[in-house]
Amino acid sequence: MSETSCYILDNGAYTAKVGLSTMEPKIVPNCIMKAKSERRRPFIGSQLDECRDASGLFYILPFQKGFLINWDTQKTIWDFIFSKECCPVNFSETPLILTEPLFNFHSIQEAMTEIFFEEYECQSLLRINATDLAEYHYRKLHKNEGTVVVDSGYSFTYIVPYINGKKYKEGIRRIDVGGKVLTNHLKEILSYRQLNVMEESYVINQAKEDSCFVSHDFMGDMQITRRTGSRNTIVKDYVLPDYTTLRRGYLRDIVRPNEDLEQQTLRMNNERFSIPELLFHPSDVGIPQMGIPEAIINSIDSCPEGNKESLLENIILYGGNALFPGFRDRVFNEVRALALDHFDVNVSIAENPITYAWEGGKYLFKDPDFYSFCLTKEEYEEEGRNLAFERFDI
Amino acid sequence: MASRESGRVKDAEKRRVLDDAARKRRARKAVEALEQDNFHDDPHADLVMSKKVPKFADSNEKPTRKKKSRSAEYYKLRFRKTFGQLVEEEASFRPEPPNYLSAQAPPSKFPDRHFCAVCGFTSNYTCISCGARYCSVKCLGTHLDTRCLKWTA
Ligand SMILES: [Zn+2]
Ligand SMILES: [Zn+2]
Repeated sequence: MSETSCYILDNGAYTAKVGLSTMEPKIVPNCIMKAKSERRRPFIGSQLDECRDASGLFYILPFQKGFLINWDTQKTIWDFIFSKECCPVNFSETPLILTEPLFNFHSIQEAMTEIFFEEYECQSLLRINATDLAEYHYRKLHKNEGTVVVDSGYSFTYIVPYINGKKYKEGIRRIDVGGKVLTNHLKEILSYRQLNVMEESYVINQAKEDSCFVSHDFMGDMQITRRTGSRNTIVKDYVLPDYTTLRRGYLRDIVRPNEDLEQQTLRMNNERFSIPELLFHPSDVGIPQMGIPEAIINSIDSCPEGNKESLLENIILYGGNALFPGFRDRVFNEVRALALDHFDVNVSIAENPITYAWEGGKYLFKDPDFYSFCLTKEEYEEEGRNLAFERFDI
Repeated sequence: MASRESGRVKDAEKRRVLDDAARKRRARKAVEALEQDNFHDDPHADLVMSKKVPKFADSNEKPTRKKKSRSAEYYKLRFRKTFGQLVEEEASFRPEPPNYLSAQAPPSKFPDRHFCAVCGFTSNYTCISCGARYCSVKCLGTHLDTRCLKWTA
């Protein structure tokens, strides 16, 4: 049995990356949204494109704290994803690669296996961590021995060391800061300092994406943002969308009072870099954990001595937060400063940080041993659900 | 301006002081708020929702599907477990580290940094009443007028 394509579903807590391995992946919001402007129906996944006015958008998410908890929501979104409206598939002919969070809870794993074999009638299933796919992607291109995968996503940031393709679980570190914490913190400070935007997660998330960057000199940039006039080279205004003339906000230079344009704006000053800073200093908002570079060193320190050199030379960053300008250089600079001098440090960033794991699934499908990693419907029916726990190392 | 500010600072000194437990409770609430999905009510909450599940065109190209699709509601009931229950369960399935709890990154070896709760710049002062950080008399004034002991946690 070998098919020409497989279906890859990287089922993230914020977006699902989905598609046949022969095509480009689609990015689908993994949520149901309700708009104030449209009371006749909710928007499921990418149906949001049909929403005329996204102000005050209300989110219903299947994931809580990075784990699949709300199954009715997830089932509704999956039904949408697998339908002709989104990304159709015939699971009786096409193997499925499906991602799950690291240390996914036992009963969620059971539910995943059950729903894909019994509800969606999947023929061959491979449940796997997204970081496994990312590591496979990296190793395929670099032929390296050790890899440190840094997945900075919506719910949290995971640092996972791999030695010869195998997760070294003692070295896994989770930082409870991801895109959601960043957006919520930005919303909180803007609401307190300027304008109440607590109901505008969708818009402020975009403002974060459009405005924020990772500082390479935090205290220096703080000084710059204290200056007035043209000596403050960081301050900008974010023009908010009004959903009549403007559908997505944008960052612009500050206009003089006499050329005031009639648009509602948010002043972005130290907010531009103090938000992504939480990835490097979670304690800035009272989360008592290390930041990414320190946690990378802490993770590598727990690995076998002989592998440390290779791990430091192969650090790969992906996930939505890797899109912040300056992210790679900051991680590199700090890891370089913390690591012992006689080691080389190499940090790379995924070309597409959103789809990097999904692309890894494409490579994995071409592995000659691919089908030996999968569980078939027959095996599941004959040997029961415990076989899934033996086969999948989640 | 200056006298008004210092008058207010004097008032502040006479004010109630939050005890340690209340400060910790506030700090915990602030971290919890960072996890929240929405800060407003469901805008469709007042609608009488028909329990009708949206119908998507069936993706199976084969005309005959062996069984009928189960509803989203069925799976909600079938797999209903809260995050707390799942963490508890995990203690019996994966009792030894490495597991979800052990993977949590430890505290940083570097000292905490402090920022003004009002403007976000670095702060050298702590509000006597509630422990919030501030950077200047102006920001302290704003803090006392808006938050300090006003939002009760
Ligand atoms: Zn201040
Ligand atoms: Zn106070």
